[in-house]
Amino acid sequence: MNPDTLALASVVAPLVGFFLGLVVFRKHHAVAMGVVLMSGAVSLVSTALLLFGGPAEPHVVGARWFTIGDVAIDFGLLLDGRTRIMGAVVALITMCIQVYSLGYMKHDPGRGRFFAFLALFEWAMLTFVFAANLLQTFIFWELVGLASFFLIGFWYQKPSAVAAAKKAFLMTRIGDVGLFVGLIFLFQSTGTLDIQSIGAIFDPEGLPPAIAPDRIEWIAALLFIGVIGKSAQFPLHTWLPDAMEGPTPVSALLHSATMVAAGVFLVARFHGLFLDAPTTAQIMLAVATFTALLASTMAMVAKDMKRVLAFSSISQLGFMLIGLAAGSLFAGFFHLTTHAFFKALLFLCAGAYIHHYGTNDMIAMGRAGARSMRITTIGLVVGGAALAGIPPLAGFFSKEQILGALHGPGATVFKVAALAAAFLTAYYSFRMIFLLTRPNDASAAEPDEPAYAQHAGDSGHGSDDHGDAEPWVFRFPILLLVVGSVGAGFLGDRIGALLGIEHIHHPTFVEMAPAIAVALAGVVLAWLEFGRSGARQAGFVSRMPALRTFFERRWYIDEIYERVFVRAAVAIAKLCYGTERDGFDAGADMVADGTARVGATVARGHNGRLQWYVGGAIVVTAALAFYLGRLS
Amino acid sequence: MSDFPILTATLLCPAIAVFLTLLIPGRHEKAIKSVNALAGLAAVVLAMIAWAAYDRAVGGFQMMEDVAWLPALGIRYTVAIDGVTVVLNMLNAIVFFTGVLSMWKLEKRVKEYFAFMSTLVFGVFGVFFSLDAFAFFFFYEVAVLPMYPLIAVWGSTRKEYSAMKLTLFLMAGSALLFPGLIALFVASGGETWNILEMARSGAFSRDFQIFVYPFLYVGFGVLAGMFPFHGWSPTGHVAAPTAVSMLHAGVLMKLGAFGILRIAIECLPEGAAYWAPTFAVLATCGIVYGAFVAMRQTDFKYVIGFSSVSHMGIVLLGLNTLTVAGTDGAVFQMFAHGIMTALFFSAVGFLYDQTHDRDIRNFGGLVSQAPVAVSMFIVAGLCGMGVPGFASFWAELLVFVAAVREYPLLGILAIAGLVFTAAYMLRVLGTAIYGPVNPKWNHLKDVDAWSVTPRAILVAVLVLFGFFPNLILDMIRSAAGGM
Repeated sequence: MNPDTLALASVVAPLVGFFLGLVVFRKHHAVAMGVVLMSGAVSLVSTALLLFGGPAEPHVVGARWFTIGDVAIDFGLLLDGRTRIMGAVVALITMCIQVYSLGYMKHDPGRGRFFAFLALFEWAMLTFVFAANLLQTFIFWELVGLASFFLIGFWYQKPSAVAAAKKAFLMTRIGDVGLFVGLIFLFQSTGTLDIQSIGAIFDPEGLPPAIAPDRIEWIAALLFIGVIGKSAQFPLHTWLPDAMEGPTPVSALLHSATMVAAGVFLVARFHGLFLDAPTTAQIMLAVATFTALLASTMAMVAKDMKRVLAFSSISQLGFMLIGLAAGSLFAGFFHLTTHAFFKALLFLCAGAYIHHYGTNDMIAMGRAGARSMRITTIGLVVGGAALAGIPPLAGFFSKEQILGALHGPGATVFKVAALAAAFLTAYYSFRMIFLLTRPNDASAAEPDEPAYAQHAGDSGHGSDDHGDAEPWVFRFPILLLVVGSVGAGFLGDRIGALLGIEHIHHPTFVEMAPAIAVALAGVVLAWLEFGRSGARQAGFVSRMPALRTFFERRWYIDEIYERVFVRAAVAIAKLCYGTERDGFDAGADMVADGTARVGATVARGHNGRLQWYVGGAIVVTAALAFYLGRLS
Repeated sequence: MSDFPILTATLLCPAIAVFLTLLIPGRHEKAIKSVNALAGLAAVVLAMIAWAAYDRAVGGFQMMEDVAWLPALGIRYTVAIDGVTVVLNMLNAIVFFTGVLSMWKLEKRVKEYFAFMSTLVFGVFGVFFSLDAFAFFFFYEVAVLPMYPLIAVWGSTRKEYSAMKLTLFLMAGSALLFPGLIALFVASGGETWNILEMARSGAFSRDFQIFVYPFLYVGFGVLAGMFPFHGWSPTGHVAAPTAVSMLHAGVLMKLGAFGILRIAIECLPEGAAYWAPTFAVLATCGIVYGAFVAMRQTDFKYVIGFSSVSHMGIVLLGLNTLTVAGTDGAVFQMFAHGIMTALFFSAVGFLYDQTHDRDIRNFGGLVSQAPVAVSMFIVAGLCGMGVPGFASFWAELLVFVAAVREYPLLGILAIAGLVFTAAYMLRVLGTAIYGPVNPKWNHLKDVDAWSVTPRAILVAVLVLFGFFPNLILDMIRSAAGGM
């Protein structure tokens, strides 16, 4: 089929699904769900056909939307390697999650609305990925945020869910301010909105751009602020763990291939620009490395399965940005792709457990017999091992590329830090696997999480469905993603070819050794502490209670924000309101009262007594006479 | 068609409505409401015809009618529209029509209410059409004065105080305005009040312009909710009945901004250039300040009232960039904000009619009690946050792009205001619309097919121009040729 038609079909279908699901079939859940599923299938088929049979050269499907003055605004879908891969991944993961939600949200009274918002989300994300100009990028970036607001806050009667949705929207919006200003500057500097033209200006193999270097640095830094917000990097990462308040399919969607991936995709999209901004790239490298480590430490002490996965998302996004910042488009993009599979897989497994056992606590689920859910447990082990970077699963190859990209002077410290983060990743992944599959009595020794770290779980949404723990709508997506998590690692060459990278460095065994070593070391440590029979099932951090508390409280970052920024905002708001009430309002009232009082005073003279009037007339006449006399 | 006096016809819609309303005995309430609704519908139709008939290729002022009014004083009835007023004319007609529909349940002194309301609308149309500065001022006062009885009689929450405050503030603004206009008239030779002729006369020296401009800017600015003279506006919004809030925030505040654009900047360009940085700072203060004050409010209407201060700040910032893009954005924002606040107040009015409560803390989970009615509020809230897909996104985009270019620091501050806006909007949504359900309001009735009409029209307009902003931008832009 014609690629133009396919591209249009892939983005229009979800919009139609959203509209029909939310507005037309508002009261017919089954119809709404069916329509959305069909729209998802159309997108999946279209993007798959585009991936395998798309145009060889970059190609824009587009039309003039309108013009503002002499600036033409087009609505276009850019088909190149990056968008074709990402589009297909987004559509595939979304489809898996939609099928899965058939079971997960089966008894939810708002399931029609839920599916409609899934479709809205898919529309926004796909159109963002395919965007052919800056304005479209920004618009759909914002709409992705909006759709995630509705999805995270889907159980709107739960105050924690509403708070999480607000937090996600606000934190990402702080980043959006940077992105917005950055895009305006980018437009002013290049004079074009067209992404292909901008790509050509910053082509690493072309001429250096005719823009002052420090201006490029500014633009890149501002765009990166947007990425920090969306891709949950330090210091704007705090919204992501809270976003677990949404239904688990939402977590699977938002934290694997979409939403958080948008930030990484933006860096990949404008990779040439970031290469021309070495200082910003260095800052990005530092931020991403720090974030990868930071989030790993949080993941190794959490007991809530979704939280572990949330922290690992933050950490893995850091890895992707490390790859991109180190100059390797391929490494970052490859990890973005593989991560989408195994992270979605892990979340779906988490959802299956949570749905069946009604708790998020890994220890409780393990002791309740989690491993009896065969398919889910297979998914857990494969996904966890892929996350840990065990060869030959998907995560291993892409992480290896990222570590390989860190070479040259000054990179050693980052490489060491990244290896440490990889070690912790393997450790917490297998801690999760062992806690779920090899429960023993000692697990009680792991102290209960204090109240501040606990979280209500997906309770109260009709998880009374204890019939079939693994209905086919769970098994099918899980198995599909298992295949993806095993196989995606071998697609490196094809992905590289689609990205236009001719020569991909295949690391030798010696080069791979450190990564394999740290991953295995992490697994072994996890085995000793959690896996082997008779293990204490308490992590090494538990021996340092202060440190464990520090990690559990997420380095106190949320508290600091609460104390500093939230309080500052409230204080400013109070100040403004005080000014309004006691300054402007009171001032206006005072002027009015003063006028009235002057009037009252003057009125007192008009008391109807003739002697007053005559007296007044005499005084005035005398004064006038005196004045006139002085004049002459 | 070209000979049909379409502007006078539009003006006559509310005028005839006032006339008939006064003739019909007060007990025929349905008839009175129907007459006014029909006048509103006729105004919408005429606004559409004017929109279609306006020749964008030619631009400038069209459909001119010119009759001597007070020849001895050089005062004429000169009406015409350009791209800007085509848009604002549409805004006024839509808000008028939907406002009447939103007051369909009114029971108290129906006759007097609609007489005053249509008088107000009449004045607004007159301001938009007039090219004669005196007639402009005349209609301006006609539009402002009915606010006093409308709030004092039909309002709520400290209504006498609010009505008095509003009237005094606006009169104070007029007190600045009138000397400014007389100065223009005298300095331009005392022959004509025609704005375009005065502007073209070249009679205004630079010193004169710098001296007179603040009179006109501040005088009009008071009505536009200009920081720091905005105090009357939120109190007035809160006290006014639903349709008056809609007209007040939706249209009336735009008269101020429109006056700045049409008279102050047009006639005194050098004065505008001299003062623009100062007033841009004040506008940005308004954007940020309004958002922060809104964060502390607990009354639905106060939140919206202060959001208007913030959003009108965007209009004023756009005007003060003195660029084509900024002005386009400002006019677009006048339109978008007008429709958006009309929707806000209409939705809150719907709620208040049933509950007689407006404290957001007394509500919760409204979306499950009245899903359709509340969805309208959510749409207005998203529009207020500048979410793409709704009209105000484009307006704000244009203003911000122009502002970042002209005043980088102010532009970035104004964009940061988006975060604060989101903070107070989400606070309202999170507290009253979402969250645990307050069973006290379980009896709440959702909109029926009839009462959904005005709100649905407003939503449709916001979405239409959100997806096809060029419909409006091309129209506004064509005015640039004439100015």
